[in-house]
Amino acid sequence: MSLSLPLLAAVGVLGLLGTGLLGLLVTRNLIKAVVGLQILVKGAMLALVLAGRLAGQIQIGQSMALTVIVADTIVSVVALALAVQVRRQFGTLDLQALSTLRR
Amino acid sequence: MNPTLALTWLLLLPLLASPVIYLAGRASFRLGKSAAPARWLAAVALAATLVPLYYTGEAVLRAGSVSLQVGAISLRMDGVGLILAGTVLALTFLVSIFSMPYMRREEGEEKHYALLVSMAGTMVGLGCANDLFNLWVWFEAMAVTSFLLVAFYREQRGALEAGVKYLVQSAVGSAFVLIGIALVFARTGTLELSQVAAAVAGPLPLPLPLAAAGALFLIGFGVKAALVPLHTWLPDAHSQAPSGISAMLSGVVIEAGLVAMLRALGCLAPMSASWGAMLLAFGALNMVVGNLMALRQTQVKRMFAYSSVSHLGYMLIGFGVAVGYGIANGAAGGFFHLLNHALMKGLAFMAAGALLYALHISRGSHDPLMIDDLNGAAGKYPLTALALTIAVLALGGLPPLSGFMSKWQIFVAGFETRSAAVEILVIFAAINSVLSLAYYAPLVNRMYRHEPSAAVAAGRSVSVLMGAPLAVMTILVIVLGFWPGLVDAITHPAAVHLVSIFGGVGALARF
Amino acid sequence: MMTIGTLALLSIGLPWIGAVVVRLIGDRRPAAQHASAVVFALAGAVAAVAMIPQKTDANVLDLPLGSAFGHLTFLPDGLAVFLAVVATVIGSLAVIFSVDYMKGERQLGRYYSYVLFFIGSMVGLVLSSNLLLIFVFWEITALCSYALISFYNDDPKAVAAGIKALIVTQVGGIGLLAGALLLYVYQGSYDVPTFLATASTLPADVLAVMAFGFLVAAAAKSAQFPFQTWLPDAMEAPTPVSALIHAATMVNAGVYLLARFYPAFEAVPHWKLAVVVVGAVTALMAAVMALVSNDLKRVLAYSTVSQLGYMVYAVGTGGIFASQFHLLSHAVFKALLFLSAGAVIHAVHTRDMREMGGLGKQMPVVKVVMIIGGLALAGIPLFFNGFWSKELVLEAGREGGPAWAWAFMVVGAGLTALYTLRFLSMVFYGEPKGHGHVHDAGPAMKIALVPLALGTLTTYLLAGPFGGFLGRALGEGHEVGTTGQVLLGILTAPTTFVALAVVALGLLAWWRRESLSGLARALRGIGTMASNSFGFEAINRGIVSATVASAESLRTTHNGVLNWNVFAILVGLVAVLAILALGGA
Repeated sequence: MSLSLPLLAAVGVLGLLGTGLLGLLVTRNLIKAVVGLQILVKGAMLALVLAGRLAGQIQIGQSMALTVIVADTIVSVVALALAVQVRRQFGTLDLQALSTLRR
Repeated sequence: MNPTLALTWLLLLPLLASPVIYLAGRASFRLGKSAAPARWLAAVALAATLVPLYYTGEAVLRAGSVSLQVGAISLRMDGVGLILAGTVLALTFLVSIFSMPYMRREEGEEKHYALLVSMAGTMVGLGCANDLFNLWVWFEAMAVTSFLLVAFYREQRGALEAGVKYLVQSAVGSAFVLIGIALVFARTGTLELSQVAAAVAGPLPLPLPLAAAGALFLIGFGVKAALVPLHTWLPDAHSQAPSGISAMLSGVVIEAGLVAMLRALGCLAPMSASWGAMLLAFGALNMVVGNLMALRQTQVKRMFAYSSVSHLGYMLIGFGVAVGYGIANGAAGGFFHLLNHALMKGLAFMAAGALLYALHISRGSHDPLMIDDLNGAAGKYPLTALALTIAVLALGGLPPLSGFMSKWQIFVAGFETRSAAVEILVIFAAINSVLSLAYYAPLVNRMYRHEPSAAVAAGRSVSVLMGAPLAVMTILVIVLGFWPGLVDAITHPAAVHLVSIFGGVGALARF
Repeated sequence: MMTIGTLALLSIGLPWIGAVVVRLIGDRRPAAQHASAVVFALAGAVAAVAMIPQKTDANVLDLPLGSAFGHLTFLPDGLAVFLAVVATVIGSLAVIFSVDYMKGERQLGRYYSYVLFFIGSMVGLVLSSNLLLIFVFWEITALCSYALISFYNDDPKAVAAGIKALIVTQVGGIGLLAGALLLYVYQGSYDVPTFLATASTLPADVLAVMAFGFLVAAAAKSAQFPFQTWLPDAMEAPTPVSALIHAATMVNAGVYLLARFYPAFEAVPHWKLAVVVVGAVTALMAAVMALVSNDLKRVLAYSTVSQLGYMVYAVGTGGIFASQFHLLSHAVFKALLFLSAGAVIHAVHTRDMREMGGLGKQMPVVKVVMIIGGLALAGIPLFFNGFWSKELVLEAGREGGPAWAWAFMVVGAGLTALYTLRFLSMVFYGEPKGHGHVHDAGPAMKIALVPLALGTLTTYLLAGPFGGFLGRALGEGHEVGTTGQVLLGILTAPTTFVALAVVALGLLAWWRRESLSGLARALRGIGTMASNSFGFEAINRGIVSATVASAESLRTTHNGVLNWNVFAILVGLVAVLAILALGGA
């Protein structure tokens, strides 16, 4: 079992990354895009922990992941705050509507 | 001053000043007065930071680098970090002066200054990062402050939209960087830049995870550095931010992304041939796409934003030649252009910002500054128009202005490869410079018309505090054009250092 | 006594300081602006003239500029000092002329500052012996030219013409840029004298790229085939600027470049032939265009292009002295023609010659001097400098160039006589066309015109000393005798008689133009083609519209939708990974 744990984690990383990116590509809703971003970053965190484990320095991997959690939380808070403002000013969270700046 | 102490203060001062600025401004505001203390504190803090910068710089130029150990984290200021720190702090100081009238009485003015100073601090730190994860932390901190600054006008649709796109795209890039870090760490068990470099040294091809990590660094940091096609956030963010912030974003933030990218790629030096070729290819792409996109813009700041995309292309070519061919002139030219671009584009954005303020903002309008608005601006605003003229002519690479000289150094480096492909790329870059004149020159012509636009006719005056930074930068652009050797003392050691990080042998030359 | 190094710096620096001063005086004090512009231009001219007795064949001044930029050095040899004097003296006359011509114009500060900036830069261009600096000054003159062509910024035609001039010369300038970069990389410095002495040691292909790069740059700067289209459009500039920049000085820079580097490139295969082709094709083509235009300044512009073609042709045939001698004559008589045309245009407020006519009575002085300039252009013997230098060019071509090109040039000489008579008679003779009150040229205008007219009548007498003055720049074994020997040589050369016969034919053709109408109809196709500038305008327009179209279609890909932006990032990553995978395999 212990042998397959890294493998499992690697599959998890790829799954999270793929899901996150796919979400970012297909959603038309800003909140869902932020969620996609969250999933993507979760994949990166898991990758860091996994890397720590593979390198035999799990503590470093974990502490990096913790740092990322903090940073990611800040980014998410900012993102959601912007989303609130977007809803207020645009009256929608539709990403298609959020394309007045182009060309 | 002891160099280590100087470096400590260099890193601490802006980060400590930031909350103080916020609280002082907030308190004054609560007491029913303006947020004026925030303005002055920001300028004073930035000016004060120039003192430790001087002592650190002196030590770096003398000894090559200055190190600092904080717990498990080691920080190291070298020539590359010094150029970034010097450029950042000088530009931020000028922006803080410029912003005093520009941001006066904006809601949340104190936040603007607090964020501005801390953004400068994070960029100084980014230049000192000595391990990959630390690099990412500074990078992310810089990103977060810049998100908030881009979306500063939070009641405005354009600023919000730009902020959202900028945030999401940057975050995707930074996630890529994290995955790259995980790959490197898993493979080498270390994150310290030189140790990673030592651990990966070996015959080509490198193991696939390491190559993939390099690609992730290139793209991840490349989002911030606005490599084409990852640049799509840039024209939005740089045009919607307050003008001082636009100057910062174009002048130093994207360049900080580039420095971070070079740092990260530096620990995968065995593949420097690949990285060099990639940088050259992205350089070509950036120049042509940036220029073509700028050609038909109708808003001044958006045009400048696209011009930044193309100017990053010149830096990429300089660094690409340095990385791929081990030619120090390439990196020196790249650094020179980095510094110059901060000056020229900072000047362009701030001069345009001064006009934007005089023509629109001071009259309570948040309309963008259209190119048509500039018609006849020189009649009413002769000095601002002159500053803008010199900025765009320098950006277009006309001598005797500084932009010509840094482009020239990059071109020299390109020819020093004696590779036909790179020589053709240099000619292509020169053609792109000419192309850029097709949108810069008409801008100048407009300003010197006799007949003023409606906006100019109704415009208010430009204050002295806005004019002063413009004057300083205009003079610098001219002085560096006449005497490019002034910066040699800084760019040359950094360039030699960078080339040595990438193996210094010119791996591409063997192909 | 000042050293020549100081004088060189002064002749560049004084006009530049003047540029700043005029700007600082401000547009509210036009009288002070006029006066200080004249003073600084004249001071520059004095400094340049003072260099004449001290000319030297060694570098003077040596200031290191930093790593990739070489050393700031000047080489005030005969050729350089000669051109510096031409630039500053004719520059001063143009500035003096401007006192009347630009009276009452707005933004005088901008006008004079660019004119003075130009004069100093032109001196710098010819005096520099560092190829990077030559390029720098080359580009500064282009910048000034652009700024002055589009001086009337409210006129879209002027703006378009200025930008066109800037872009065309910059595109050509890339040839010089590449040459300078190659020189630095292969020689280790930008030093021109070193290069001229050791050119043969460079790899042949490098030397060839440099030679043809310089030819491209020279062709663009001197408005030669296939870059000639910018110069006629540049006539939107105020006329003193046309006289100074677009007739007497900047456009000569290309000829100067070719002449200066001729010793290095002489042996490059096909280079001389290429120079001859460029010169000959331009000379003939532009002469035809001058024949069909009705805009007085455009006629003179085409004529300038054509005459520059003669100079380029002369370089290609090895006649360096002939080219520089013609350059001198042309600088004087064409500046005279332009300035007198400026006086005419200033008087009647139009450039269309069909609306002129019969102006001789109202403007007697202008009429006399313009006819003097015209006769020099047409190559009428014996008292006009244009005759002597043109015959010298033709004789050099007969000796050193292919026969077909020589035939081109001789026919061109006939056409020159024809179009000169045409524009002179359209302006000064025939019936007045009701342009109301015509005021004569002002005093400052006359002060500028008279010295040029006298020069047109006398400069050929300097042939001998001029040849000696150019000295080493002419190359080994190209010593020029005394004035008497030179002039006698021209008079006894077989070419002279052929050319004179053709010129006479040209004059006759104008005389009998009524009876030649059948022939004219037959040639109308050529005329139409010439009016359409032989299709080169269409090529320019095609390039512009293709660029704009690609910019517009690129813009449609930037749709501003976040999903697509993220997709682009992903594409970037996949592309990089794929390239790495393929490259590693």
